[in-house]
Amino acid sequence: MIYSRKGAYCALIGASLLLSTSAMAGEITVWCWDPNFNGAIMQEAGARYAARHPETTIKVVDFAKGDVEQKLQTALASGTTQALPDIVLIEDYGAQKYLQSFPGAFAALSDKVDHAAFAPYKVKLMTVDGTVYGMPFDTGVAGMFYRKDYLEAAGFKPSDMENITWDRYVEIGKAVVEKTGKKMVAIDPNGADLIRIMMQSQGKWYVDDQDNLTITDNPALRASLEVEGKLINAGVVKTLSGWTEWAGSIGSGDVATVMSGVWITGTIKAQADQFGKWGVAPIPSFSADGKGHASNLGGSSWYVLDASAEKDEAIDFLNEIYGKDVDFYQKILTERGAVGSLLAARTGDAYSTADDFFGGEKVWQRFATWLAEVPPVNYGAFTTEIDTAVMAHLPDVLKGEPLDDVLKSIEAQAQGQIQ
Amino acid sequence: MNLSRLAGDAVQYLFVGIAAFLSVFPFAWMVISSTNTSIDILGGKATFGQAFAANVGNFFAQVDAPLVFWNSAKVAVMATVLTIAISSLAGYGFEMFRSKTRDRVYSMVLLTLMVPFAALMIPLFMMMAKSGLIDTHIAIVLPGIASAFIIFYFRQSTKAFPVELRDAAKVDGLKEWQIFLYIYVPVMRSTYAAAIIIVFMASWNNYLWPLIVLQSNETKTITLVVSSLASAYNPDFGVVMIGTILATLPTLFIFFVMQRQFVQGMLGSVK
Repeated sequence: MIYSRKGAYCALIGASLLLSTSAMAGEITVWCWDPNFNGAIMQEAGARYAARHPETTIKVVDFAKGDVEQKLQTALASGTTQALPDIVLIEDYGAQKYLQSFPGAFAALSDKVDHAAFAPYKVKLMTVDGTVYGMPFDTGVAGMFYRKDYLEAAGFKPSDMENITWDRYVEIGKAVVEKTGKKMVAIDPNGADLIRIMMQSQGKWYVDDQDNLTITDNPALRASLEVEGKLINAGVVKTLSGWTEWAGSIGSGDVATVMSGVWITGTIKAQADQFGKWGVAPIPSFSADGKGHASNLGGSSWYVLDASAEKDEAIDFLNEIYGKDVDFYQKILTERGAVGSLLAARTGDAYSTADDFFGGEKVWQRFATWLAEVPPVNYGAFTTEIDTAVMAHLPDVLKGEPLDDVLKSIEAQAQGQIQ
Repeated sequence: MNLSRLAGDAVQYLFVGIAAFLSVFPFAWMVISSTNTSIDILGGKATFGQAFAANVGNFFAQVDAPLVFWNSAKVAVMATVLTIAISSLAGYGFEMFRSKTRDRVYSMVLLTLMVPFAALMIPLFMMMAKSGLIDTHIAIVLPGIASAFIIFYFRQSTKAFPVELRDAAKVDGLKEWQIFLYIYVPVMRSTYAAAIIIVFMASWNNYLWPLIVLQSNETKTITLVVSSLASAYNPDFGVVMIGTILATLPTLFIFFVMQRQFVQGMLGSVK
């Protein structure tokens, strides 16, 4: 008697320890980062879908961005599909790495989703051999935020900031430094953000469409390095290190312009003491013909795991909300400042709202216009690795070494890093 | 002569001062930042602000704190109890029982210290998945309970344990497990205290393995939650600081409570 009771206790304890929270039928598990942005948006999407499909629940689990990648990598590499979620968020720059390294791991969505309804550049980055694997989500369409007060003090009107070239930007920068003592822009010399923006605005990347490394024969990269060198050598750049310092330079009022993705809008608007002082213009271009002002920095998209038991349901969910629900996009823009990449969403009310923080400018509409113009490029599988090689040789550019030599060194280092 | 000694002292104090500043500054910065808004923290404000209550409120609004701390505590306590039980028994055994193969087995145990965890991660993960243990707390604890370091630590400390005590107990008719429980454990009190602190802290702060194993919001530990909070496009650093402080408190508490035994334990239990 005593023994059997002990046995029962043991079994009970064992069971409670072993009990795993396995997914119920009709429960779609999503992994993402940033609980107040991606997480909250996914909850909203889930609530909308559940209203029409009460049998389905969406369970959002948030981890840090690097952690989502680490978990995904471990589960895929070990072939343990039971440990995978149904839907996962992947940063756009990393998409090709996962799609190419784990063929068959992600569900092909070409036949289920009308990808023509999205910004073309968002579709290209998730395409492998003509098959599209993801549901495009938020965009990092780039813009130039500028301090009207600083530029006015330096003698420039907002119209002077529209559709300028990079050379003109450097000139304006020199005037700003001279008249106001502020710098024109903050750059982290160890980060390739500005290089990425400049390169994509010219429709190029570190690799071509066949994933071949293009460094020495890449005029877009060459021009981007040249401009970054000019900016720093002209003394108009506040150099700093790391994201925290970079974001801090916005609040401290040290710089006259911020060149970034649309998602930085939230950080800028959080500076309550700078109300009404900011304006938005397209990023500068490499040509004076009014083209090449659209680019992108960051952004991410949703992917369905092919081994998911709820695969069809998950695809239907993404398609119904992210693929069609224009009203949903208005809500996430208003509440979370998220700019999606569904082109039809731009016709909604939220996009045409004038923003008093920017002096009544229709900021979202401007970004939405540029969204469709972002040149599609193939990010390839090694953006981060090649970034490192590029930034390692930025000091050579600043020293005035011939760009052809610098590009050769970059190519050699990049070759070593991606093997 | 005096002057050079003064200079020597000055250099010493300068060095100690810098070392002290480096160790204390991050902690002070964390405490100060917890009273400031995210924007002030980004701006590098180094004085106390008024946002402490707001940060605490936001933290508890965003995080299911009781659940998360319960998870962390459960994992840390399970890990501590199991690791200390298994590893101290092993340390005792390795020192007390002589055999030809003893040191060969012992070297193999120590060899596991040389294998970096990253190399074990994927095989371990597959083992856990096959056993159906993914997303459970026991899966975090199990791989660590036979800890080579703690076994080593107990064996080294046991060298100072007087064998006569064991012999006397044997003469008095105690069985081996009774000797361990009633003689060894009380004598080795400080060694146990130090080992508890080490295992508890390591388990409480453990990050990579829980991250790989845990899959849902209901099982997450505090380290994962703080990491997720900090990894936002516009992180609320005030909230992150509150999370960091709360995550630090238990390890601080346990260290200060057991500090005396810890130092003794590190010096050796038996005098």
